[in-house]
Amino acid sequence: MVESIVLSGVAIGCIYALIGIAYNVMFSASRVFSFTAGTLGMLGGILGSLFILRMGMPIWFGFILALAGGALLGVVTEIVAVRPVLKSLDQHLYVLSTLALALIVQQYTAIEWSTEPQPFPRIFDVARGGFDQQLWLPMVACAITIVGLEVLYRHTLLGHAFLAIAEDNYAARALGLPERNLRMASYALAGAIGALAGFAGGQMLLAFFANAPLLTFYGFVPVALGGMGNNRGAVVAGLILGLFQQAANFLVGGIFASVAVFTVFIIVLLARPDGLAGASVGRRV
Amino acid sequence: MSMTRRQALKSAGAATIAGCLAKPAIAANDPILIGYLPALTGPSSSTGIGINRGVQMAVQEINAAGGVGGRQIELISRDTQSDPTKAVNGAAELTKGHKVNVVVGPINSGEAIPVVPLLARANVPQLHPCWVDQLADAKKYPLCFRNGPTNQQIGGAANRYVVEVLKKKKVAVISDTTGYGTASVNAYVPMLKTMGAEVVYQSNVDAANPDLKPEILRMQAAGAEAIMPWSVNAGFLSRIINTRGQLAWDVPICGQTTLGSGQTKALLDKPEYWNKVYPNNFRPVCYGANGNLPDRTKAFVDRLRSAKIDMSDTLLWWIAVGYDTPHLIAQAIKNVGAEPEKIVGYWNKLKDFPGVYGDISFTPDEHNGYPDKQIVMVEANSLKEGAFNLAPGYGAA
Repeated sequence: MVESIVLSGVAIGCIYALIGIAYNVMFSASRVFSFTAGTLGMLGGILGSLFILRMGMPIWFGFILALAGGALLGVVTEIVAVRPVLKSLDQHLYVLSTLALALIVQQYTAIEWSTEPQPFPRIFDVARGGFDQQLWLPMVACAITIVGLEVLYRHTLLGHAFLAIAEDNYAARALGLPERNLRMASYALAGAIGALAGFAGGQMLLAFFANAPLLTFYGFVPVALGGMGNNRGAVVAGLILGLFQQAANFLVGGIFASVAVFTVFIIVLLARPDGLAGASVGRRV
Repeated sequence: MSMTRRQALKSAGAATIAGCLAKPAIAANDPILIGYLPALTGPSSSTGIGINRGVQMAVQEINAAGGVGGRQIELISRDTQSDPTKAVNGAAELTKGHKVNVVVGPINSGEAIPVVPLLARANVPQLHPCWVDQLADAKKYPLCFRNGPTNQQIGGAANRYVVEVLKKKKVAVISDTTGYGTASVNAYVPMLKTMGAEVVYQSNVDAANPDLKPEILRMQAAGAEAIMPWSVNAGFLSRIINTRGQLAWDVPICGQTTLGSGQTKALLDKPEYWNKVYPNNFRPVCYGANGNLPDRTKAFVDRLRSAKIDMSDTLLWWIAVGYDTPHLIAQAIKNVGAEPEKIVGYWNKLKDFPGVYGDISFTPDEHNGYPDKQIVMVEANSLKEGAFNLAPGYGAA
């Protein structure tokens, strides 16, 4: 039982963590929480199934196209739902605009794709076992994303530019950095990461339009618990969430598992409003 | 006789008012308006899409044969999008705007729950196949008739099969958290206990939960000898079947018809996981021991093939219940006319209407028309053109 809790919990936790990272990448570039993050995950699963199973494309090509689809939605999010409301961030209009876009994409997907869950392809043609690919694929995807983002942010000029606009976009612009292009690139990156979460978790979650609200909701928990914009915090909190959710599934089961998860979530936020890894920020008065 | 200007104005006014108030005569060749509330899109649309094929075919056949007493049927359809609010709006539009003679549907219980009282107040006869028990009540809704089974009948058939045919006494009952799922568990668990079975596990689980292994392990630990899932969510049902298969746990799964749908099949890890899965179905649309459909159904399937209506991605009983419904209406109107009270009076005396889906009978006190004996369990893995073999134990009857 413990083995099952750990394997399933870490796998689903990695999917939540990836969605949390997608939230954070968009947040860092714009100070906006884009609620299209779960929709990106949903789209990764559906595009993977569409390209590989329905259209018969090779797996590697379907994978690249699915990530490209996610990146495209990321860019569209920036142009349609984020850029118009950036000047009035304090009014939090982005909540409405990003939720509206997410809803449009979700409903369009339901109409064009299917309202029933559809199968997702087996990525590797190997026999099913205890530690199946549906469990380790999200873990691998999460590990690659963490390492990739570390390399990008620490060792590349582009990554430094991303960090610069995340730190202070006015100063970055004053230094001549193309803030708008960098923001769009960040949203494209977040889109690809979100789609990767859906693709890697496709065998577990299936290609289903209703995964969007599920991932939007559960993907936000690691962000809130891990600290806004903190990727490492999101990964740790995502794993904790996955493990706790699976443990609750095993121990109390049924609908009470969700109740247990959100009870703990609320208690943690009451105790540490800035998240487990977040630090309190002083405010000038 | 001379008439003053005032008298002339009074007469003209009275004539105008009388003209406005007079009920327009229904011409003999005016179309019969059937309001139709299918869910053709949205999360519960797979049933609606199947039923719609039968409804459309029946209306085309009736109209091609000259209509009902020379009057064509006009189907005024409003897609509920699987949304109760849109179903209510559609029902109001059909009754107040189009003033339809009869309403068919809604065809999902969640949409029918608010629509049935609305149509009762509008005094429009209604025919629907929804299963939730309270959706046909001759005293509360005297114009509403059901040509499908009730939840009690469905659960009763499944419970009898598990307890009396398979002889399983320890049962696990699981559902999703929808109104249908929870209502089913609440209704069927006491029935099982009354029949002498022990419900060793009972739970409502979020259908979006990607991992049902904890639930299945808990059933196993409780000593369950059969699993009875109640949900229309193919993803949820396939996860139960897949997890049972991965654990190599050889207990039968008996329950909701969606267990045998093509959508559920498409989500199975291995085709053999569909073995020992027995969903509800209906004897007139099942293959008998000789591998053939009953004659009436066979002739119907031949007509479906001629009309090039696809059966491979749906269930035959969905098409059949859709097909029977306009015929039930047409027969009533042909015999007694299209006035609401006459249609209701005719249906109140209906005895063994020979539908493809089943033999429908109503009485003034009983508007649930589907017979118990025609509700059966089938072998999911025998699905062929939307129909199934009877589950083991039913014999050749």
